[in-house]
Amino acid sequence: MGILRRLVRYMFLAVSIVGLILSIKACSSPPATQTSSPAAQSEMSSSSSTTDAASNKPKININSAILSELDKLEAALGVPALSHKIQASRPYGSTEDLVSKKVVTQEQFDQIKNQITTEEIILTGEAKDVDYMTKLGLMKGHMLVAGELLDLSKPDQAEPHLGHPVEEIYVDLEEQFKERNVPDFKDILTQVQDLVKSKPNDVQVKPKFDEAMDAINKAIAALPDNQRQSANFALQVINGLLETATAEYTAAIADGKVREIIEYQDSRGFVAYAQDTIFKSIEAKVKQADPKASQQITTAFAELRKAWPEAIAPETPVLTADEVAAKVKVIEQMSAPVMSASAS
Amino acid sequence: MPYPQEIGEKLWNRRKLLQLGLGGVATAGIAGGYQWFRQRSSGQPVRVPLVPTDTPAYGNGINPLKMVRDFDYGKVKQENGRTIREFQIIASTTTLQLNSAVSYITWNYNGRVPGPTLRAREGDRVRVSFLNQGGHAHTMHFHGIHPTAVDGVRPVSNGKAFIYEFDAVPYGVHLYHCHIAPVTRHISKGLHGMFIVDPKEGRSPADEIVLVMDAYDTNDDNRNELYAFNGLPNYYKRYPIPIYQNQLVRLYLLNVVEFDAALTFHTHANFFRVYPTGMTLKPSYETDVITMGTAERHILEFAYPYPGKYMFHPHQDAIAEAGCMGLFDVIPQNS
Repeated sequence: MGILRRLVRYMFLAVSIVGLILSIKACSSPPATQTSSPAAQSEMSSSSSTTDAASNKPKININSAILSELDKLEAALGVPALSHKIQASRPYGSTEDLVSKKVVTQEQFDQIKNQITTEEIILTGEAKDVDYMTKLGLMKGHMLVAGELLDLSKPDQAEPHLGHPVEEIYVDLEEQFKERNVPDFKDILTQVQDLVKSKPNDVQVKPKFDEAMDAINKAIAALPDNQRQSANFALQVINGLLETATAEYTAAIADGKVREIIEYQDSRGFVAYAQDTIFKSIEAKVKQADPKASQQITTAFAELRKAWPEAIAPETPVLTADEVAAKVKVIEQMSAPVMSASAS
Repeated sequence: MPYPQEIGEKLWNRRKLLQLGLGGVATAGIAGGYQWFRQRSSGQPVRVPLVPTDTPAYGNGINPLKMVRDFDYGKVKQENGRTIREFQIIASTTTLQLNSAVSYITWNYNGRVPGPTLRAREGDRVRVSFLNQGGHAHTMHFHGIHPTAVDGVRPVSNGKAFIYEFDAVPYGVHLYHCHIAPVTRHISKGLHGMFIVDPKEGRSPADEIVLVMDAYDTNDDNRNELYAFNGLPNYYKRYPIPIYQNQLVRLYLLNVVEFDAALTFHTHANFFRVYPTGMTLKPSYETDVITMGTAERHILEFAYPYPGKYMFHPHQDAIAEAGCMGLFDVIPQNS
């Protein structure tokens, strides 16, 4: 082998080693990132919102905004059903995902980009109240079905529904309770659950349960009556509850059997509260605003309720998950004209 | 192979060095481990067998034979000079056919049990957009180091989204799972997955595979009725995982079995080197049984010297016989 060839080989090797050393150096430079979490985040959000300084309006979070908020974007761009499209393509890692997921075009994006965000923004105004009331509605739904099961002497079945309000919802609302001057009621929720778990026949079960219900009612009463009885507000809450009920009902059924009784019962409670308490309180107003829509909502509710003949789950579901979803859809669609009428 | 687009060039360099006959020496230093040296000095490239594509998924979003080597590196972006990896996760419910008699409603991430194996490099920024469509409130709680705001204990209610953003530290093999109580139910129903953080310097080339030991409490009695590797009981017993003879295999192993205190993973006819929690670059010891509590995970490395089929299973044999059983099909090197 020629000397030249060997020389070239060594040169190549030398170059490679230098390259490797450089890359090792690059790798071992201290991670400039480890301490950056909160700082980096605020940095990012401030830089992303500088363009918006002029307008000074709160941005719409495309990951969490309710339909009525997204309607502002729909109106701005004049794209029919855009709100639903935005909702259907969630989640978004960044606002640009609206383009990469083909929800809007680049041109349309440029028009709205200063109005939107994916950073967690604090819900304000009506959206915050809708969220608060919907979560308390879920709590009530869990408690309603727990109460039914206790009355049926099924404490073992009631127990998970006494747990859900604390585990899934309370933590989420804790800060709001403080803001809204609602006295802390986590302990009473926990006490009922502990009691039903360990001493289901104790005489204290009933009074403790009632005490927990009262506490939730007080939290609901932190919202003014006139707001809760506005058709626009109440229908948003109803649709939120029904959406969750649909997801749970779907998660209860497999192969034409009710396989998960907890989820069957959850959804029963949510729908019952949505109709018997919330819809009932606005029914007269809805009838007045739009008699036809009111009739259709009432009919859809009646059909929907057939899915849950009793608190004890039937072996074979009365309605399929798709049938439940379809009826919920009717209520949602019929709510829209009533909501826009009462909002204007 | 991790980050092919990023380390391709480096690999090429290594290969080139190898051709030049000095690769073994030069590269051993880079990887800082003898594995590298062994692998390279054997002169073999990493060989990964073709996997049959027509085996059933039984309702799972991904065929378990594919899942073994399926890694989600996210969508890579650069922001302010940093590498961001964006992942999208949707929690929902799907029904799995666990065996011919049992169909079971799972709660899961992206339609599969376990959820996608998320993978980042140490120091990357990880951004996970999480949408809950599961009915119940759910979360993603990552093991790792991060601020409380993204610790994934605050419920995300149905229909809501949340972005978990944090630095990928420390390197190792970690996990994520839902942290809504009862956590036993949320994890057992399928809301769990592996989260791998690769060390900056990378690891030696190997056939990398993922096994998650999971279990199902199908009648809500707080005891498991069925067990599995990667979601489906006895799947790899029926459809063995092909690997090549003498090929270094790097197994990322996680135990998310609730209700049983610990499982003791065992490989037949072989020993493996253990990298505890994947947080070392050199193996700590060698064994053929390793006892893991719930949420414990390790990297195990091994190569099979003889062709044939070899069992792997937890040595709590009742658990193995209730579905947590699989086989490696070691294919002759020269085939």
